[in-house]
Amino acid sequence: MMQRFGAWPALAFIGLFFVLPLLALVPEALSENGAAFGRMLADPLFWPALVNSALLGLSAGVLSTLVGVAVAWQLAQASPFWRDKLMAMLGLPLAFSGMVIAYGFILAFGRAGFVTQLLGYLGADTAEIGGWVYTVGGLTFAYAYYLIPRVALTLYPVFANLDLRPIEAARTLGATPRRAFFDVVVPEVAPSVLGSCAVVSALAMGTYGTALALVGTQVNILPLLLYAKIGDGGADFPVTSALSIVLLALCSLVLGLGDYFSQRREHATFH
Amino acid sequence: MSLSFEHVGFQYRGTSIGVHDINLSLDSGELVALIGPSGSGKTTLLRLTAGLITGHSGRIVLGGRDLSNMPVHERHIGMMFQHYALFPHLTVLENVAYGLKMAGVKPDERRKKSQEMLELVGLGQLAARRPAQLSGGQQQRVALARALAYSPQALLLDEPLSALDASIRGQLRDQIRQLQQQFGATTVLVTHDQEEALAMADRIALLDQGRVLQYGTPTELYENPKNETVARFVGLSTIVEARVCADNRVDTGYATLACDTAGRAIGSAVKLLVRPEHVEADPAEGSVNRIAGRVTLNRYLGSFNRYDFVPTGGSEPWLGEARVAPAAAIAVAPEHIRLLAD
Repeated sequence: MMQRFGAWPALAFIGLFFVLPLLALVPEALSENGAAFGRMLADPLFWPALVNSALLGLSAGVLSTLVGVAVAWQLAQASPFWRDKLMAMLGLPLAFSGMVIAYGFILAFGRAGFVTQLLGYLGADTAEIGGWVYTVGGLTFAYAYYLIPRVALTLYPVFANLDLRPIEAARTLGATPRRAFFDVVVPEVAPSVLGSCAVVSALAMGTYGTALALVGTQVNILPLLLYAKIGDGGADFPVTSALSIVLLALCSLVLGLGDYFSQRREHATFH
Repeated sequence: MSLSFEHVGFQYRGTSIGVHDINLSLDSGELVALIGPSGSGKTTLLRLTAGLITGHSGRIVLGGRDLSNMPVHERHIGMMFQHYALFPHLTVLENVAYGLKMAGVKPDERRKKSQEMLELVGLGQLAARRPAQLSGGQQQRVALARALAYSPQALLLDEPLSALDASIRGQLRDQIRQLQQQFGATTVLVTHDQEEALAMADRIALLDQGRVLQYGTPTELYENPKNETVARFVGLSTIVEARVCADNRVDTGYATLACDTAGRAIGSAVKLLVRPEHVEADPAEGSVNRIAGRVTLNRYLGSFNRYDFVPTGGSEPWLGEARVAPAAAIAVAPEHIRLLAD
């Protein structure tokens, strides 16, 4: 069967459920000679949402990458026994629904959360801490919760397979340990790390489940703006489509950048 | 630049493995091969010299400088690794230039010097390639150029040929030796291939269980091995157990042979060492030390045959080499039978 039909069933599936819905957005957005884009740009909520989304993508992406790299490094160094345990632990957040994570955050760091209360006993301002969860900063940490394992599990094989012998070669040729690290290890892992950072940044900008559960629509980010528009009684479908295309373009741009970095082999030159 | 090891000792933590009281000295420009079975300590000694492992007792002195507490990057050595260890993200030329760059040589000058080095190893036209685009043999030649480019005070070779195909191995072996001599680099070669050591080295140190069993020229090790272990490790041989039955005469159980017994007491047990090239095929009837028997295994090697010859009444074969394998008998001249010390 597989031989006879080749990849066609798979392609048809992708076409039907992936490409077609996206294509449907385009005529909708352009239906009034592009007037929808004008209305979108005129919406006072649009620009802050775009900026907040970009900020969230950047902060969640960078935080998750920094911690994820450290975890991946630990994984690569760990004994097989501990590696298996760690991997299983890291797999859990990936499987959780965003709702569970959001609820957990509210219970821990919300206005009545036990961490907030604990800090309150120590003299901190509970209203300020409790309110913080419902900001871009709070979202950054909630997102990092399941983006860190993603970074760690993606990069672990890169670190585990890293050939450390060229470091010794660099050392014998006169490089200090620090210099050898920056000349040998960094260029080897940088493309993968940057690529992974781009993927999680795009994820942070595109998803809305955790955000919705955690902050409702208190934080103005593109996916939530989109959600509000769709949920709106008198929905403006062309503007909603235009907004979708902007979000799609933003995520694709970041993914494209990541691809560019991970394909490019950095190399030192004679400077 | 002379290199010496003075009472060097090192043990891997929690084990008895390591090296013990190593005393060796290398003259300037000399190539010394460290050979020995796995775990004999040869790689440990090399890595101690490079500074890649630390914490030894005794002194390692290079050109008058004690290397003992010096970090790797200040030792000024060139090293070749078994698996090349080139920098994968740098071009071939940049790989060769790396040591010069670390030494602060100006870009133009290091580019010129590196290009010259690449020409020397015959890879001038591959300067712009990445290591992954090169064959194993080519990569190891780049590694050779890289190790020599910044004129190190010593060259350390860690089994540089063992990952390569046999056909390339011989070629690169000659090239390494030639450049090492041209640069006058004091060199330590670690190898498990005794033939490689015999072919390349000025002197050989045979290590076993972390100790030097014998240190001498290839000829000395081959022709005057100190004991059975050295004899077995260096070159091919037949070692026969026998008993002194008269002055300058030994009995193997199936034959009595004439040889120099060096005044040993009659009745004492001895071991005889015979190299295969000294075994004569089908000697004339009545020759000295003639042993009758038959060939049980013959290996045709082109210019000669290497055969196992089992004497009549004996069970252990003698190893011989000849243009034509013997039909019925072998003989060994008395001066080519050596009594081993243990």
